[in-house]
Amino acid sequence: MALEHRAFLYGGTEEFLAVAVPFLRAGMEAGQAAVAVVRQPNFDALRDVLAPYAEQIDFFDSAEFYLHPVRTLKLYQELVNEKRPRRVYALAEPVWEGHQPRETLEWARYESLINEVFKDSDARALCPYDRRSLDPAILDFAQRTHPVLTDGRIDLENPRYVTPPVFGAGCDVVRRFDRRPPDAEYLAIDGEDLHRLRLFVSERAIAHGLSDQTVQNLVTAANEVAANALQHGIPPMGVWVWRDGPELVCEIGDHGYWRPHPLTGFIPPESALVRGFGLWTVRLLVDLMELRAGWDGTFVRLHVSG
Amino acid sequence: MQWASKNAQAAYPGRIRIHPDGQDMEPNWLFAKRPVSEVRPGDHAWLAYSGPEERDRVIGTFVAGALRSEEKVVYVTDEPAERLPGLGPRTRLDLCALTERRQLRVISHEHACLDARGRFDPDRMLRVWEREVAEAFDQGFRAVRLTTDHSWLLEAHGAAADLHQMLGCEHQVGDAVSPSTMAMAICQVDRHACAPDRLAALRDTHEVLVEVDPEFDDGVLRITRTFEPHGLRIEGELDAARHGVFAQELAQVSRPGRRVHLDLSWLGFIDLGGLHLLAEHAAERTTAEALVLDNLQTDVKNVIEMVGWHRLPGLARGRDRAPGTEGVF
Repeated sequence: MALEHRAFLYGGTEEFLAVAVPFLRAGMEAGQAAVAVVRQPNFDALRDVLAPYAEQIDFFDSAEFYLHPVRTLKLYQELVNEKRPRRVYALAEPVWEGHQPRETLEWARYESLINEVFKDSDARALCPYDRRSLDPAILDFAQRTHPVLTDGRIDLENPRYVTPPVFGAGCDVVRRFDRRPPDAEYLAIDGEDLHRLRLFVSERAIAHGLSDQTVQNLVTAANEVAANALQHGIPPMGVWVWRDGPELVCEIGDHGYWRPHPLTGFIPPESALVRGFGLWTVRLLVDLMELRAGWDGTFVRLHVSG
Repeated sequence: MQWASKNAQAAYPGRIRIHPDGQDMEPNWLFAKRPVSEVRPGDHAWLAYSGPEERDRVIGTFVAGALRSEEKVVYVTDEPAERLPGLGPRTRLDLCALTERRQLRVISHEHACLDARGRFDPDRMLRVWEREVAEAFDQGFRAVRLTTDHSWLLEAHGAAADLHQMLGCEHQVGDAVSPSTMAMAICQVDRHACAPDRLAALRDTHEVLVEVDPEFDDGVLRITRTFEPHGLRIEGELDAARHGVFAQELAQVSRPGRRVHLDLSWLGFIDLGGLHLLAEHAAERTTAEALVLDNLQTDVKNVIEMVGWHRLPGLARGRDRAPGTEGVF
């Protein structure tokens, strides 16, 4: 059996419940693991309707579950493994409000990656999209990341669906970086020893008021990207750090041209021995990692806050 | 009592040990832990060894290091000189010549610290050591390294060993050595020779805990052999520039059928390549030979937990050291 990943566009709570409730109920009746990750106010409405089954369903509020695309994907993977051998019936509604465009893009990529990460599982995922309130661009993403669209009665093969590598490559192509501000601080990377780089980054991260763990996460991520540049990139190379509101941004650049496969570092690796472990962990450690490669070199931007 | 002291400076006050989290890791934070080659005049040092390998490496370095330079060794023991740590045939030291010019003094218990009835007499040992130090000063030696193994006292009398007498003796040695600009002492004890609380009480009369010299130390990363448990202590930061030397040391301590413990209590940073390296090493070993990570610090632990322990197969979570046990366990 293969993954089933369907999007469903609804308008209003009634329509939402009309599809969501039978889906979860079918899972329970089949003795499988029903999981509902839903936004307010649908969350409360769904809980009310399914109150008799409260014990059998894992309910999560989307606002707490969808905090970081790479971590959320990992969370879902752990959930699927934990429920095995039962089949997971996941009603999965991401949060689309309050993001910067670059973050929205990563959440869209996340939806696409579901198809790859769970392709060999038998999970059933139903992703509700509120067609009344969501931006048309997000509904457009939904169409390109779900192989099947449903209205609850009829499933339609989605002709606009594209595979995760194609979708991912598209995300990377449209990426533009804002200019670095003139007050960005710079440290050249020369020699093999990254001790100074770690000091440079951690001092600025501490001064920005980040928590100890965030500082360590950023230092670990920046060190990894720099080690990668040292190994594969072309000098000159260096690191810039600047503040962007509550965020601290750290960018590592070199003059090579690095264009990894669009899925590299997005699929949770089985172990530290698998290729892509480093890049995946970097994405896990920071709020957002962006990669841009062009005529002027390869640049990796790490964003953290909190 | 003061020995050959030209000024009254208190030599080498103990470093303050603060855990990188900012918390005191040990209640007895006034200990300075020092590699044996950095023991210097004024140090009254403690070595609770786990076995002959550890003892020989520490005391061997202490003794041979002195004899290769212009320093005198006073070793109170009933063993003959050629069987002492650091003095075996491989060291190629001319023991006869060294003994003749009294740079090497191997003094038996009978002549150093027993009274007429064969009982331990701390005052006598102090007098003998004082005499030897004074003589060394006259002979023009730069320093005197004193050492003896107290295990026989603890073993011979078991629980009945007079701890108060030994503690008194240690305090006197400490009072005499600390202000000295010439004398330094290492008191050895087999850590299995008595109960931990007695061991801790004895340890507490010393300001310096001595250990083997590090295998590697470049100011960023330090790698030191540990003996009980068998393994390495990794301090500082492990990154790509240092993977090679770390892998080499890890290979050195990896023996068939034996677990390797890595004491990470002072490891502030490990890069992802370092985690990969650990997992790679562990993958080639059986469960009985697992790589155990002891005393993980919050910073490093957080990174590992975020990645997930299951992504690091073959790595086992070890124990966290009980506070106050440094130099005892």
